[in-house]
Amino acid sequence: MTHSDDVEHLAECSACRQRFAANVVPFDPAARRGREREFTSVAGRLERERDESSDVVARYLRDTPTDEWSRLAEMPDLRNNAALEQMSEEVRRRLHRNPREALAIANLSASIAESLAPSQYPSVVLAQLRGTAWKDRASTLRYLARYDEALEAAERGEEALAPFASLEHDRAVIRMVKGMILAQQERFEEASVILSECRQVFSDHGDRTRYVQAGLAQAGVMYESNLIDECRELLLNLLPHATADGDVATQAKIHSNIGYCEMRRDAFASANIHFSEAVAGFTDLGYTSEVARTERGAGLILVARGQLTSGLARLRDARRAFIAAGMTEDAGLCGLNIAAVLIERGDRTAARSLAQSIIEEFTAAGMNERAISAVATLRDAIDVDGATAETVNTVHAVVESLREDVRDATN
Amino acid sequence: MPPMAPEAMDDAPEDLRPLPLPCSVDENVFARIYEENCGLLVSLAVRKFQVPTVDAEALAHEVFLSYLRHAGEVRDLHHWLIGAICNASRYYWRKHGRNIEQLDTDIAAERPDPRSRNVLFDLPDSIALDEVLERMPPRWAQILRLRYLDGYSIKEIAEQQGVTSKYMQKLVGKCLHRAQEIFNGMRARKDQ
Repeated sequence: MTHSDDVEHLAECSACRQRFAANVVPFDPAARRGREREFTSVAGRLERERDESSDVVARYLRDTPTDEWSRLAEMPDLRNNAALEQMSEEVRRRLHRNPREALAIANLSASIAESLAPSQYPSVVLAQLRGTAWKDRASTLRYLARYDEALEAAERGEEALAPFASLEHDRAVIRMVKGMILAQQERFEEASVILSECRQVFSDHGDRTRYVQAGLAQAGVMYESNLIDECRELLLNLLPHATADGDVATQAKIHSNIGYCEMRRDAFASANIHFSEAVAGFTDLGYTSEVARTERGAGLILVARGQLTSGLARLRDARRAFIAAGMTEDAGLCGLNIAAVLIERGDRTAARSLAQSIIEEFTAAGMNERAISAVATLRDAIDVDGATAETVNTVHAVVESLREDVRDATN
Repeated sequence: MPPMAPEAMDDAPEDLRPLPLPCSVDENVFARIYEENCGLLVSLAVRKFQVPTVDAEALAHEVFLSYLRHAGEVRDLHHWLIGAICNASRYYWRKHGRNIEQLDTDIAAERPDPRSRNVLFDLPDSIALDEVLERMPPRWAQILRLRYLDGYSIKEIAEQQGVTSKYMQKLVGKCLHRAQEIFNGMRARKDQ
């Protein structure tokens, strides 16, 4: 991370910090003491609230029906910084598995943050609370693919912080979400500018974790914009930061993404190395599903680039990994990817046998009858020599859409 | 073709997690943080970014207050505080309508643009000198004044500004380059 040389140095050298601060600027000692008192008293207050409110949000959420959560905004013991911090954590926990609940909590949090009395905290702290609440709402709406509303929420968060020069870090956290929303709206140029600015702010603050996060998001934008060399360069830049952070999962993710870039550059040997690094990282962490997904992604790309033998090998590894992880549906989908290649190559016997295995696996796992019958149709089509790769892809799409339906119903 | 590892885009960003503070509540710890760093932050705002002293004090105080919600996640206090005051100072000037470019290390400054080579001869010859300095960020103008109008050495200016001589040398190069750009822009407008 770079900054101005002297600023970077000042952060690390206490002698130079003292020298820099020692002269020139006169100040009013009484005023400074007054500010210091305010600072220590707010610090003490925030911490006391944290001590007194442990698990208060989890308790209320557990004891209140979901459709009544909005009424919790009136509870006095939820109307403080500690409770809002807990709500933010609850949003983060639910984002993946239950985004609708996450949204209800984010709405509750925004409603409390917006209605706190101005005298409750210093205005800069109040602005942070509001900014975080709106950012959580933006994140959740992004997750639910309600991008216009998500953007609006992010902008409300920015507005809350706008009067305060000192909140550039908080602003960058909100703008990182905004950048991700814009990316999903395919407004790649705007997204890239914002994410790049965020990276700079995080770097200035020594916030390596968010620096890498913003970088990964920007790399995604570059990849989508077909800026493959720039994307690869950025990912290579991020790697040492993730390593210094000791974040093996992110390192593996970065390796996987570099692998995709290398593939697009026809650098297959390098791509294989990076995919293998990613698989090794995920394996070390015991992330069996990520191992399988990485193998599948690499396999599909290799196949698409005409590298059929190595692509098939990766897809077979992926299928084995999915089966080992008990992910029958993914194993079946991966099997269908393999079957498409086999049919393309004219190896109908192997494709038919694979389709039969998938049917048996789906049946044993008690999966959706329509998925089983779709694969059975494929097997029968192979028998009468009427199946093409396109047929397999259609069956793949049917099985995948059934899974999406189940997910939607769950949420 | 499948998209790049989808998790790059789909993962929820890390949030401002409510991690515990680095130590149990001891207001003395916070008092010490304030005392040990307040002077530095104010000095940075005033000397690096020319923020008026009164505003610099207020900015530094805001930075301390904003730190409280991040205290649990900040790994390097000095890095964080210094980054925060520098960014706050830049934002301050953006809000006050002045474009403060960061006076950071720039390799280009070590290898001056050939267009800047004659700047010392061209600029003093021009009555536009004051106008050029007027249009520059205040700290840059001050550095050029000290160096070329008041005759201070690089070492003296570095000491005054609290930076190393090597760094000041780079800054002077960068300031000259910028002055040349402003001068060229003014000349082009006059020629039109």
